[in-house]
Amino acid sequence: MTTVLAHAHPGDTVYGQVGDASVPLRFAGLSAEYQVLRDRAAVLDLSGHRLIEISGPAAVDFAQRLLARDVEYLTSERCMMSLVLDDAGQVVDQVLAFGRENGLLLESSVGAGTRLIEHLRANNDEGVEITDRSGDLTVLGLEGPYAWGVVGRLIDGELASLPFEAVSDTVWNDVEIIFARTGFTGEYGYQMIVPIESAADLWRAALEHVAAAGQEALELAMLEVRQPIPRLETAGGVNVIEIGANWLVDVTKDEFVGKEAVLAAFESGQGRRTVGFSGGDTVPEPGARVLAGGEDVGEVVLAVRSVGLGATLGLARVDAELAAAGLEFTVEGVDVTTLTSPYIVPKSWSIPII
Amino acid sequence: MTIDELRAKAAERQQTCTQIKKMIVSRLDLEIEPDWITDDQPLFGRGLELDSLDVLELYVAIEAEFGVALYDSEMAVFGSVSRLADEVNPQLKAAA
Repeated sequence: MTTVLAHAHPGDTVYGQVGDASVPLRFAGLSAEYQVLRDRAAVLDLSGHRLIEISGPAAVDFAQRLLARDVEYLTSERCMMSLVLDDAGQVVDQVLAFGRENGLLLESSVGAGTRLIEHLRANNDEGVEITDRSGDLTVLGLEGPYAWGVVGRLIDGELASLPFEAVSDTVWNDVEIIFARTGFTGEYGYQMIVPIESAADLWRAALEHVAAAGQEALELAMLEVRQPIPRLETAGGVNVIEIGANWLVDVTKDEFVGKEAVLAAFESGQGRRTVGFSGGDTVPEPGARVLAGGEDVGEVVLAVRSVGLGATLGLARVDAELAAAGLEFTVEGVDVTTLTSPYIVPKSWSIPII
Repeated sequence: MTIDELRAKAAERQQTCTQIKKMIVSRLDLEIEPDWITDDQPLFGRGLELDSLDVLELYVAIEAEFGVALYDSEMAVFGSVSRLADEVNPQLKAAA
């Protein structure tokens, strides 16, 4: 799936295949885009997120059974992030669920739409309508400590101060859009679900106020605040507990696909746990061994060069008894230190919306 | 450090984190087991979804439980349970 905004991007945009989607990885370079996102505000091409409409009389019952968080009373003015699990408790995807008048709209994580829709259809015991809306709708994001100001200039200042995960059906440039206060990076974040034929116009309008950031800058900023990046963290048959994504699962719900497996994993106390680490100049590959006191205690899940820290930043999955901040490990001969989350404190936490 | 020393150091942080989780669940009357909260889980907005009223409750609870006043602290101290552990048990940060 190629981004519907490709024709609106600069000619030297660097694209990459992420799952089933071709997405812009970089526009002006990772460092510059990261700084814009953390210091001011950036517009994001989120067209690699698939939009799937669940409708019909049993839509809410279906979503309530398939999503790991409680969406029974999700009104059309709210959205919610949730995991979707399989029977074994493994992550199918991390979705943003929007309440709608006739059901729900699910937004997949980047490049995971095909897998998600296949899973939904395979589990459609309720006979709901499952419609891929990515042919007519797409998603743009705004994130950064001053993203609220951009919302005011671009659409409506009232929208900027919506509560977190509030949704408003609004109009931009005579076009109906779904506007939501969301966020992946710990900064002020907003999403706009817009008809594809108007997406390029909105993208260009946003660029009059902010610069664009690509997938690499977005994922770096997500990692820094320990926002799960499903495509990079769920490989290898790990469960929710090992990933540390418990907060995207509501175990107080009566029933959902994967609940028994998640509870069994939680109660067993077995398996490894994920912890952040930093150190060194080299970036280890996923799977690189993690040593503690000379003993192999786990492996690297992902690692990148952090612009904010000026050092390598990564996640390691290690023995549970060693999953704690402030420890010295060795990865490929390099000393690293485990970290306390968030690894970078978002500027938005100290900047009020005015 | 030997692996046993690392395990001991990790256990000290995990113990403080567990104490904080129990306090959060008890004070905010949450319907989850304390250990369901992970050390790195965000507490505000996403994550545990605490709001400003919850923070006021936690300020009081932390002072009562740990003898540490965080009233003038930046919101970053509530960035995660582990971050909060650094504040209520300064030995953890000093040893890092």
